[in-house]
Amino acid sequence: MAHNDNDSRMAAQQEFELLVSRYYSTLYQFAFSLARNEDDARDLTQQTFYAWARKGHQLRDRSKVKTWLFTTLYHEFLEKKRRRIRFPHYELSAVDQDLPNVSPATTNQLDSGTVLQSLARLDETFQAPLSLFYLQDHSYKEIADILGIPLGTVKSRISRGIAQLQQILMRGKRAGNGRREEPNG
Amino acid sequence: MDSRQAKEMLMRYRPETTEGADPEFAEALEQARRDPELGRWFAEHRAFQTAIRESFKQLHVPADLKDRILAEYRPADIVAWWRRAAFPALAAAAAIALLIGLVLFRSQPEDRSFASFQNRVVRTAQRGYVMDITTSNLTDIRQYLEAHEAHADYVLPAPLEKLPGEGCAVLRWRNNTVSMICFDAGQRNDLYLFVARRSDLPDAPSEPQFSRIGKLTAASWSAGDKTYVLAGRGDEQFLRRYLP
Repeated sequence: MAHNDNDSRMAAQQEFELLVSRYYSTLYQFAFSLARNEDDARDLTQQTFYAWARKGHQLRDRSKVKTWLFTTLYHEFLEKKRRRIRFPHYELSAVDQDLPNVSPATTNQLDSGTVLQSLARLDETFQAPLSLFYLQDHSYKEIADILGIPLGTVKSRISRGIAQLQQILMRGKRAGNGRREEPNG
Repeated sequence: MDSRQAKEMLMRYRPETTEGADPEFAEALEQARRDPELGRWFAEHRAFQTAIRESFKQLHVPADLKDRILAEYRPADIVAWWRRAAFPALAAAAAIALLIGLVLFRSQPEDRSFASFQNRVVRTAQRGYVMDITTSNLTDIRQYLEAHEAHADYVLPAPLEKLPGEGCAVLRWRNNTVSMICFDAGQRNDLYLFVARRSDLPDAPSEPQFSRIGKLTAASWSAGDKTYVLAGRGDEQFLRRYLP
């Protein structure tokens, strides 16, 4: 039996290492896109795997491991945030009827910093769906499961989130241009 | 599908995925091929989407993170349930119990009484259960249950509402949905609330009634269109603190 225990432990350790190798970087990137700082993103990623170590065995359907990990991370994030501040509830505003178009010049200037800053200015309801959408590791159905919202709501929030992100980027571009022009004016 | 609808669809199209095979995207993509103006917008939009995606991919992941995670866990913490030493014996016992259960089941009519329901759900809490989500946030729990078409419009007694959650699960009993919500009552004491449709359990009590089932005490009552069973370790007096 002792021999079996050791085998089981080794197998479990291998499974755990495989899970960590496969998901730690996208989990961290998702965490960073939500928390926007390295310390919190690290904590969230580590807490997620800690939760798996304690409670992962409760997951009956092993094909849902990825969804379980992202769901757990998202809940940890919400919990952490709730402890820090009681954040305001944002009503979903109607989609801007004019779907904006970002110019190729603005697109060419995008980098991670700009994108994350813009993401931070989105309505909170759009932030997590958009991060999961752009990480491209999840289907719409998986995003719905992770966030615990209906599929139709996910699709709508992603569309509206992209529209709002484009508006923010365009406004940032115009403001940037304005500032650069001031010294000459 | 007009140009406007196609644009709304294409807003969230991801070229590197299999979404192009999805009929709703396929139609919008076809529209973009036919309509030059929409096609131009789509080309620019794709460039924008690619740039954002690349920005996400460029997010730097700390080099030591993986090693840290691996270093912090001992194998004993993470023995998978199907590899636990006791599992083969438990599986054999479960198979025998299942066989006996099937024989009894075939010889008896289905018991749909409240007593049967209460016994079943409270024993579920003792036998080992799987939570669908684990969170301390009661709003998240309610949202999860709502999204999964389980009972989510339950009314929590005020004292219970003040406790942090542990998680929740959607159970089935006689083809009916039952919501299971777990609470952390402190001092390693969990409380389990089961919510069912009152009309599924016509003989359920209206006012709280107490019973002892295995190691747990259960309080059961009905209010509105719901029947509730609250179970936990401790006696009747302990449970009364959390009732309406």
